[in-house]
Amino acid sequence: MSSHHSSSTTEINSDEFKTVELQPQKQNSSSSHRGISSNTWRANSVKEINVIELGSKSGKRYGSSRKGASSSMSMSRREISDEDSRLVYINDPVKSNESFEFAGNSIRTSKYSVLTFLPRNLFEQFHRVAYVYFLIIAILNQLPQLAVFGRFASILPLSMVLLVTAIKDGYEDWRRHRSDRIENNRMSSVLVNNTFEQKKWKDIKVGEIIKFSANETIPCDIVLLSTSDPTGVAYIQTINLDGESNLKTRYAKQETLRMNEIENISGVIKCEKPNRNIYGFLGNMEIDQKQLSLGPSNIVLRGCVLKNTSWAVGVVVYTGMETKVMLNNSGAQSKRSHLEARMNKEIICLSFFLVLLCSIVSILAGVWLKRHRDELDIMPFYRRKDYSGEDVDNYNYYGWGWEIFFTFLMSVIVFQIMIPIALYISMELVRLGQAFFMIRDENMYDESTDSRFQCRALNVNEDLGQIKYVFSDKTGTLTENKMEFQYASIFGVDYSGERTEFYGEQGGYYAQVDGVILRPKMKVHVDGELVRLLKSESDTNIGKQIYDFFLALASCNTIVPILVDTSDPVEKLIDYQGESPDEQALVYAAAAHGFMLIERTSGHIVIDILGDRQRFNVLGMHEFDSERKRMSVILGCPDSTVKVFVKGADTTMFNVIDRSKNTDEVTATERHLHAYSSVGLRTLVMGMKNLSSHEFEQWRSSYEAATNALMGRARLLRKVAINLETNLSIVGASGIEDKLQQGVPEAIESLRMANMKVWVLTGDKQETAISIGYSSKLLTSTMTQIVINNNSTESCRRSLEEALIISRKAITSGANASLLALIIDGTSLVYILDSELEEQLFELASKCAVVLCCRVAPLQKAGIVMLIKKRTDELTLAIGDGANDVSMIQKADVGIGISGQEGRQAVMASDFAMAQFRFLVPLLLVHGHWNYQRMAYLILYNFYRNALFVVVLFWYALYTAFTLASAVNEWNSVLYSVIYTSIPTIVVGILDKDLSRTSLLKYPQLYTSGQKQESYNSKLFWLTIADTLWQSVVAFFIPLLAYRKSDIDGPSIGDLWTLAVVFLVNLHLAMDVVTWIWIIHASIWGSIVATIICVIIIDVIPILPGYWAIFHLASDGKFWFCLIGIIIASLIPRFVVKTLVQHYRPSDIQIAGEAEKVTNSTESRNAEIEMNQPQR
Amino acid sequence: MNANAPSSSSGGAGSPDVNAPRRNSKRPKYSRFTQQELPACKPILTPKWVISAFMLVTVVFIPIGLVSLFASRDVVEIVDRYDNACIPPGTKSQKVQHIQDARSNKTCVRSLTVTKRMKQPIYVYYQLDNYYQNHRRYVKSRSDQQLRNRGDENDTSSCDPENEANGMSIVPCGLIAWSLFNDTFSFSTRNNSQLNVNKREISWKSDRDEKFGSDVFPKNFQNGSLIGGGRLNESIPLSQQEDLIVWMRTAALPTFRKLYGKIEVDIEEGETINVVLENRYNTYSFSGKKKLVLSTTSWLGGKNNFIGIAYLSVGGLCFLLASTFTIIYLVKPRHLGDPTYLSWNRNPGGH
Repeated sequence: MSSHHSSSTTEINSDEFKTVELQPQKQNSSSSHRGISSNTWRANSVKEINVIELGSKSGKRYGSSRKGASSSMSMSRREISDEDSRLVYINDPVKSNESFEFAGNSIRTSKYSVLTFLPRNLFEQFHRVAYVYFLIIAILNQLPQLAVFGRFASILPLSMVLLVTAIKDGYEDWRRHRSDRIENNRMSSVLVNNTFEQKKWKDIKVGEIIKFSANETIPCDIVLLSTSDPTGVAYIQTINLDGESNLKTRYAKQETLRMNEIENISGVIKCEKPNRNIYGFLGNMEIDQKQLSLGPSNIVLRGCVLKNTSWAVGVVVYTGMETKVMLNNSGAQSKRSHLEARMNKEIICLSFFLVLLCSIVSILAGVWLKRHRDELDIMPFYRRKDYSGEDVDNYNYYGWGWEIFFTFLMSVIVFQIMIPIALYISMELVRLGQAFFMIRDENMYDESTDSRFQCRALNVNEDLGQIKYVFSDKTGTLTENKMEFQYASIFGVDYSGERTEFYGEQGGYYAQVDGVILRPKMKVHVDGELVRLLKSESDTNIGKQIYDFFLALASCNTIVPILVDTSDPVEKLIDYQGESPDEQALVYAAAAHGFMLIERTSGHIVIDILGDRQRFNVLGMHEFDSERKRMSVILGCPDSTVKVFVKGADTTMFNVIDRSKNTDEVTATERHLHAYSSVGLRTLVMGMKNLSSHEFEQWRSSYEAATNALMGRARLLRKVAINLETNLSIVGASGIEDKLQQGVPEAIESLRMANMKVWVLTGDKQETAISIGYSSKLLTSTMTQIVINNNSTESCRRSLEEALIISRKAITSGANASLLALIIDGTSLVYILDSELEEQLFELASKCAVVLCCRVAPLQKAGIVMLIKKRTDELTLAIGDGANDVSMIQKADVGIGISGQEGRQAVMASDFAMAQFRFLVPLLLVHGHWNYQRMAYLILYNFYRNALFVVVLFWYALYTAFTLASAVNEWNSVLYSVIYTSIPTIVVGILDKDLSRTSLLKYPQLYTSGQKQESYNSKLFWLTIADTLWQSVVAFFIPLLAYRKSDIDGPSIGDLWTLAVVFLVNLHLAMDVVTWIWIIHASIWGSIVATIICVIIIDVIPILPGYWAIFHLASDGKFWFCLIGIIIASLIPRFVVKTLVQHYRPSDIQIAGEAEKVTNSTESRNAEIEMNQPQR
Repeated sequence: MNANAPSSSSGGAGSPDVNAPRRNSKRPKYSRFTQQELPACKPILTPKWVISAFMLVTVVFIPIGLVSLFASRDVVEIVDRYDNACIPPGTKSQKVQHIQDARSNKTCVRSLTVTKRMKQPIYVYYQLDNYYQNHRRYVKSRSDQQLRNRGDENDTSSCDPENEANGMSIVPCGLIAWSLFNDTFSFSTRNNSQLNVNKREISWKSDRDEKFGSDVFPKNFQNGSLIGGGRLNESIPLSQQEDLIVWMRTAALPTFRKLYGKIEVDIEEGETINVVLENRYNTYSFSGKKKLVLSTTSWLGGKNNFIGIAYLSVGGLCFLLASTFTIIYLVKPRHLGDPTYLSWNRNPGGH
């Protein structure tokens, strides 16, 4: 109903459209009678320029480096030498494969087969030093001289760990096997004996010709031969490859296109060896004695999907594991967490301690043996001599030196858990558990994209709690990267006044074709005045200028319109697909104002102009490159004039606009541009000129010459473009809003309060960056801004020095240093990074609260991260969404990818991925804080837990003539770290919360405890060790003295020590737990019960020496007094210190925890729920 | 700029197709567990709690300490070191020679004075000092299978170097059994009335029932060239060889007592007990000491003040701590959970 209503109001003459064919793939007839044929040049030109576009990837940001472009330039010019190449005989798989055995097209992402699983998995597991340590100890124990534990007991812990890991790996691999099988058995149509037959993917060979139709996934890397489009264009979607959902164009070579009978084709392709560069390809094709060069625009990669093209045919060049997507299929590089690196230092301390203990024991053993050397022969408990045989031999005695050595090794075996191997496994389990909760956190779920938080790396969870520097990309990270056209300045007139007029859901401009209503998919605001002017003033100058402006918007781009069906059969949506969101926004804006791009082929475009369908021939196009920073299109208009439209960044556009023509308008436009960018809009300037036929011919000949050049084609084409893009007259300028993501200012505010330094690194220009800085509350009006824009090393040095003086003054004058903001651009950074000026920049930057880097190249982003990383121990976090952020994400301690608009490359390289910038707040302030606190405690506690047991064993060794006989049953020793004490630490490491989410979000300052390493530092480590020593003394000597001169037997007192230590360790943990939930209760008390049960089970085995010991022991009151006495006496110092510290120097965390408790008890719970609400 | 908010969200690229309604959202299912909001108890250290905890320990520990001390005080213990007294004086090697000589007279008489009335049962222990029954070589030299099962007679692999003699397995094998203590004691009072020593049920019942087989008889025992200690009557099963069973429960520490028997009559104060002992066991070769101990028992075992002292000290310390903390909390109280104590509130700006 409402659609009828709106169609009547917009008054469009629909008769015109009835004859138009809208499917781009059915353009065969219409393209045959085009005025000036431009097929050949276009196909060539785009190929070369595409290298630059894709290679640098920064192109679409309208602000980028020269580096990317020039490196890919040189690549395209590189010749392929014979040894680096592969030869593919088209349609001759036998010959292609005869000299070299190319890989088949079956893929294997699984690591193991049934046969290789065991050896390979074990090999991989033993890559960890910890496991090797385990293994060496177990092997040592197998030597008869050193057999401390029984065979089985000694290998149990290691084999359990290996088994669990192997089962986990095996399961994952089985799943990969399954998906491989499905993938390998998919079908494709392959040319066999001149007919296309269905063939399984795994049977496809290099050299074969494949045909695939729309929406099919490509099974291997192929060189296009022909497509349904007469000009050889194929549109592909690379979402599986790099995640970008927009369409990309690929071209078949003209020479192969013309072959009507594809089965008769024959030729040789010489191309690079397989490599992982998905944006590069280099090859030659020899067909009919003609050499053709092949580039990245001629190849379609495995995993791409053919779109908008009814069929395409290509020859297979890389298959299976050699395809570019498979070569790129490596996981994220692993990082090691800061805490773990620190922990490893302390573990070295512990190993010194271990060596010390072992040395003491072995030296004392040596002394003892020396002192008793004459008595050893018949001493009843030593009996060096064996009298049972014919000759009297030494029994199990290898000389004094060896005995000392063996004692040393044995003590290493007995004290092995001093090095907390189980800690590594516990840490992995804890991280897994933490990841579980992070992924399932409702507050990090994004409704609009239906995406959860993702943990891609599991090594750096706890680093999230110690971040000091946050490096953020701007576009797509702080902003949504959904561009929206806002203001237009047309020929010096600003149309930004009456811009709130907005067509509602059912309204909007639409066109009608064959009774089908076409409507742009995205609704945008239109300027009512412009609409009115377009209608009323169509014949005046103003009307023409506006006409040119919108024509420029609609035509000067690489957008492909795609028709999408809706539920209403007579209505279709036009979805504008393109690589640049800015272009999309401009085309949507043009469409909303009545200039609807409805069709694009390589040779022409069809634009519905205010209901009048017009066709423009695209005579040539100079695509965007990062050096020119503009693009141009040469249009053959219906009135057979030739127009050039140029669109680009203001900096480059004003150099090519002829100021003398419309001086007033140009200055007015400049003024408007300044106004636009100061409110945070991205600006583009449009220019145009008419070409006379002479000029056109001149351009055309040089363009042809350039496209046919064999060497340096790209350079020549750029020269042609630069020659063309001169003396333009101004058309207008546009302001596009890149909207801030929801919650960004609040998030930045929180991060700042948490004492994090937020740096924004953007490719945008300075004004835009600053205005986004203001709108995101990064910059405030009270801040002193230091701006550095320079063009030489010298001037950079000068500005840095001046800036440093200002910053020092600001600090000494008592003004708050956090009010300094540094704004620096990419050009200056070129001179500063990697030079001696780095140091000064670092000094300056570390004094500033905010740093904005504008117009930076991808590699510079990484350079800035490294600038900080090299100079401080403080942790860095990089967050970004685009391919240009990958290097920075990989370099930073924690890399976060925004899984949003711009593809998945950043996500693939990241450690964590999320949908919105604002999720940083719950991620860092809540989960990061928890993770850090938990992991730090876990590590210290594990050190304590293992060392306590070891030191108790050590004390006992002093009472056994230093022979390391243990009173503690070997099974109890082995189970100590496996069962008795392991589960509670893991549970607490996953679940304990020092503070509630509410408090952490209420007081972001609490985050600083992680930055200051308050929960894990060497002071705490040594305190823990001292506490351990005290507790071990108590736990060992209370039973020793209580049972002195009694008939206590070894196994009984061993049971007492075991129970005492296990109780102690678990109660120690219980004392430190903050938030008691039932799972923690269950694990701690459960462990104690499990220990008692295990000790009892061990003591009811009659063939063990300790048979029934526990029952005898427990029937005696002394046992219970010892146990209680040990626990109380051991924990008193810790308790006292804890209480005193809490009273005299309460930490913020503790006060906040108390505040929670106090408010909880006074106020009702509703208050807390209300506070929670905004975060949900 | 934000006035026109309802912009692209209606038809953004991210929104799903109209024809394909969202089948299963990835939204995490809400549960108190996954959101880490399980009901929890968060105890904090309030002054009340701290002081009560210390007071509780004080109240529990001091009485226990006192009771233990009293119990220990009531235990009467007579210790007599006899290894030097019961051997002719001489050098160490002379002593060793004497003790190893099978023909030398090893009988020795000691008289002990009872300083305080001893109520029955009076436990008779022998105490060995500097004797490492917990030595690695020693504790492992036994075969529990063999002791338990007649069929496992030849299971002597762990018994080196006392696994076999003259080509046959030893039962019981191993160093522990081989070095069985074999001094004997008999007691009489001043008026020459014999004090009977009950040597039954001096070992653990569990050992007699399960660990030492009733059908396992000593065999080939002490038949090697080096005699280590006592011999066993080959007609009595191991389960009734109580001295062996006691001996084989190896001591935890190098100074240890082992139960010899029980005297089941009271002995009055001032009484003199004459002990006739056979000093056969060789501790002279490694300077071990031998002592005879007569001791009554309390509910807490033998004479040992340690538990009492330890409990009193801990209890006293806790009382001290309780008082100290009371003073601290009174003198310098801190309002719990007061946000003004937060570091950024105390010195604003400086983090």
